Amino acid sequence: MAGVLFVFGNATTSIPLSNLDANFNTGLTIGNTTVGLGNTVTTLGNVILNNVTINSGLLSTATIPTATGTVMVSGNMPAFSAYQSSTQTVANSTFTKVSLQTKEFDTNNNFDSTTNYRFTPTVSGYYQVSGQCNPGSNTGLIIVTVYKNGSRFKDLNLPNVGATGGGTGGSALIYFNGTTDYVELYVYQTTGLSTTTTAATNATYFQAVMVRAA
Amino acid sequence: MSLYDKIMALYPSLTQQDFLTVITLQNDSDGKGDYIAKWEHPTLAKPTQEQLDAVQ
Repeated sequence: MAGVLFVFGNATTSIPLSNLDANFNTGLTIGNTTVGLGNTVTTLGNVILNNVTINSGLLSTATIPTATGTVMVSGNMPAFSAYQSSTQTVANSTFTKVSLQTKEFDTNNNFDSTTNYRFTPTVSGYYQVSGQCNPGSNTGLIIVTVYKNGSRFKDLNLPNVGATGGGTGGSALIYFNGTTDYVELYVYQTTGLSTTTTAATNATYFQAVMVRAA
Repeated sequence: MSLYDKIMALYPSLTQQDFLTVITLQNDSDGKGDYIAKWEHPTLAKPTQEQLDAVQ
């Protein structure tokens, strides 16, 4: 089938109708280089695309260069935030998992707020994990730390002497394999006695968000 | 009496630093209570459950 001649700016190209599956219903600016559209190699130079919809066939997938590129869309980037709504006891000098019973949001349903209080993202990649806990101590050391796969992994703060009490927290960048890796928040205090945490959205919480794919 | 208190009763020489390095007491908030997750003290043996239970 003969092609149809299109003119884009100062250049011309011929697009066989059998290969033409693009819609140019809105404005399209194509640079001055040769452009081929269809099932063969396509080279676009100095292209400005506004309001582009990528939709390739029924699966709605697009092929992006994987060697250097990363596709990040909200639908595959888990994020969660949970806080403690019921206080718990923290024994002296004992790393104690922080129970976080209430979710503020959990976009991919990856945080267990009922049994293990752990975040197990199902999308592999690098996540910014942050947390804070107020263990209710007024003296001694306070450590808030992230356990990964059951082991102490990243302390979120330098152990500090809480001269005036209060909580502490911080964040860390952590890789997850998207299947078995998980994290939990633990707290440690050395008042010499058991203490009771402060359960509130602003006092004791745990959060994570994916920042880039693996 | 907490697990920490019982261990200190058995080994008064232990320091705060020991519990941050060679000894880890842990509670996984699963209803099973405190337990010894790590004991790598160079000279003191990990206390047995019988020793811990005997501490009043």
